[in-house]
Amino acid sequence: MSVFDGLKFRRVYSPIHNLDPRIKFIYVCAIFVAAIIFWELLPLIILFLIQVPFVILAGVQRQWLRSMRGAAFLATIIFSTNFIFSFIGAGYVDPAYYLEYASAMTLRFIVLIESFSVFFLTTSPDHLGLALEQTRIPYEFCFAFTTAVRFVPVLAEEAQTIMDAQKARGLELERGNFLKRIRNYIPILIPLIVSAIRRSLELAEAMESRAWGATENRTNLYVLKMHRGDFVLIAVTILILAVAIYIRLFFGIPSLNELLGSFS
Amino acid sequence: MSIIKTENLTYTYPSGTKPSIRDVSIKIEKGEFVLITGPSGCGKTTLCRCFNGLIPHFYQGELKGEITVAGLRISEQPIYEMAKNVGLVFQNPENQLFALSVEKDVAFGLENLGVPREEMRKRVDWALNLTGIYDIRERAPHELSGGQQQRVAIASVLAMQPEIIVLDEPTSFLDPLGAKKIFEVIYDLNRKLRITVVLVEHRLDLTARYANHIIVMDDGKIALDGDPRKILGSEEARLIGVGIPKPTRLYQILQKDRVSLSNTIPLSSDEMAAMLREALKNQ
Repeated sequence: MSVFDGLKFRRVYSPIHNLDPRIKFIYVCAIFVAAIIFWELLPLIILFLIQVPFVILAGVQRQWLRSMRGAAFLATIIFSTNFIFSFIGAGYVDPAYYLEYASAMTLRFIVLIESFSVFFLTTSPDHLGLALEQTRIPYEFCFAFTTAVRFVPVLAEEAQTIMDAQKARGLELERGNFLKRIRNYIPILIPLIVSAIRRSLELAEAMESRAWGATENRTNLYVLKMHRGDFVLIAVTILILAVAIYIRLFFGIPSLNELLGSFS
Repeated sequence: MSIIKTENLTYTYPSGTKPSIRDVSIKIEKGEFVLITGPSGCGKTTLCRCFNGLIPHFYQGELKGEITVAGLRISEQPIYEMAKNVGLVFQNPENQLFALSVEKDVAFGLENLGVPREEMRKRVDWALNLTGIYDIRERAPHELSGGQQQRVAIASVLAMQPEIIVLDEPTSFLDPLGAKKIFEVIYDLNRKLRITVVLVEHRLDLTARYANHIIVMDDGKIALDGDPRKILGSEEARLIGVGIPKPTRLYQILQKDRVSLSNTIPLSSDEMAAMLREALKNQ
C-alpha cells in the first residue's frame, strides 16, 4: 500500500492550515510576482528565507523537503544551462559573476516551487473545494473536484486488489522491456476502468436520490470566514509586494560578489 | 390512505427483454415497518427504484400501471421532489458518499435543496446524533468502517426528513455485528419518529422481529403479502427460498412432531426461548 499512501488526504490543524485558501493563493501569487521582478541573488535569497517560517509553523518540514528534493533535478539543469550558455556567450570572462547569475535563476525557480508547495501542502482538498465554490465557480466543477479527491484512495485500494488478483493468476508485472512492462498493466487497467464506470453509475443514482439539482441557489454547510490570521497574511502579502516593488524601482541591488569584494 | 400504493405496476429496463417486475399491486401504510424479501433477481431492487422515481426518470424504460408515493404520482414528479419524501439507502455504502467529511456528506441533500445554513446545521446535528455518528463527524469516509459508512448514508437521507426511508439490502457489505447495529438504528427511527421503513433484506433472522408487514417477491411478482408470523410460518415461503428465521423453522418442525406449543409463531430466538420455557414448565 505504501505507493498509494501519499495520495490520501489528511486533515491537519495548524495556524497555516486554518488560513483562508483564497488569501493563501493571493500570497503565493505575490511571491511569484516578487520572484519574477528580481534577477539578483540577494533578494531571491531573502524571498526564499521568508517562507521558511511558514513551513515550520505548518509543521510540514518533511513533506516540504521531499518536494524540494523532487525539484533538485530540474534545478540542476536550470543552473548548468544558464551558467554554461551565459559564460560561453560572454566569452569566458568573469566566471564569478555568471556563477551568481545562474544561481539566481535557479533560486528563482526554487522560490516558485517552494511557494506552491507550501500552498498545496497546507490546504486540505475540502478547503480548496470550498474556496472554489465560494469564488462562484459553477458547483458542478467543484463537486467533480472534491469527488475525484474523495475517490482517489478508494480506487487506489481497488487497483491494489486487482493487481493482487491478477498476480495470483500468474501475471508478471515487472518482466520484460519497457514496452512490455507497460503492456503488462492492461489486465489491471481494464477491470479498474470497468469498475470505475459501474461505480459512477451508482454514484449518480445516489446523487439523484439526494435531490441533486433541486434548486439553482444551493446553500453550503460551511462558509469561509476571514479570521485574524487571514488579515495578518494579507498585510504580510502587501508588505512583501510593496517593499519588493519599491526596492526594484528605486534601489540598485548590489551583487553578492561586490558585497564580498568590499569586505575584503 | 396508504403512503405507498401501486397498482398493476410492470416495468421493463431499456436493455431488458422481459419485465423485471410484473403486475405489482401493494399497499404500504404510514408508520409500517415493511420487509421485502425474495430470491436474488426477483425484482426487489427494481421495486425500490420505483419508490423515489429513479424508475422511470433515471433509468427510462417502460413503466406501466399506477404508483403513488406520499400522495404524489411518481411519473409526474422530478426525482428531487420525491427525494424530499422518500430517502433511499443503497447496498454499497462506499458509493453513496461523495464528500470529504461525514458532516458535509450528511449536509449534501440539504445543500441541494437550498436549506438555510442555521437550519441545516440543526438538522445535520440531529441526524448525526440519531445514528450515533456525532463523534466521527469530521472524519473522511475512507477512514470509516463499512458499518459507520452505512450509518452516514442513513443519516444523510434522514437529514432531509423524509416520511419514508427505503433501504435496499443496506447490510450486505457488513459483518453481522455491524448489520445488527444498523437494524437497531432503523428500528429506532420507525418506532420513535414514526418514519415508514421499507427494508429489502435476506437476513430475516435479524430483521423479522422488527417487521409488521412482509412482502415476498418471486420472479418479478408479489408472491406473498401480509403479516410476518403468518407468512414466515407458511410452507409457501419456505418453498420460494425465503431464509426463514431459525426459531420459526424450529417451531414448524416441533409442531410437525406434535409438540404442543402456543399458537403465536415465534420470529426471534427470545420469543422461541420463552415459548419453550413455557412448554417445559407445563409438562
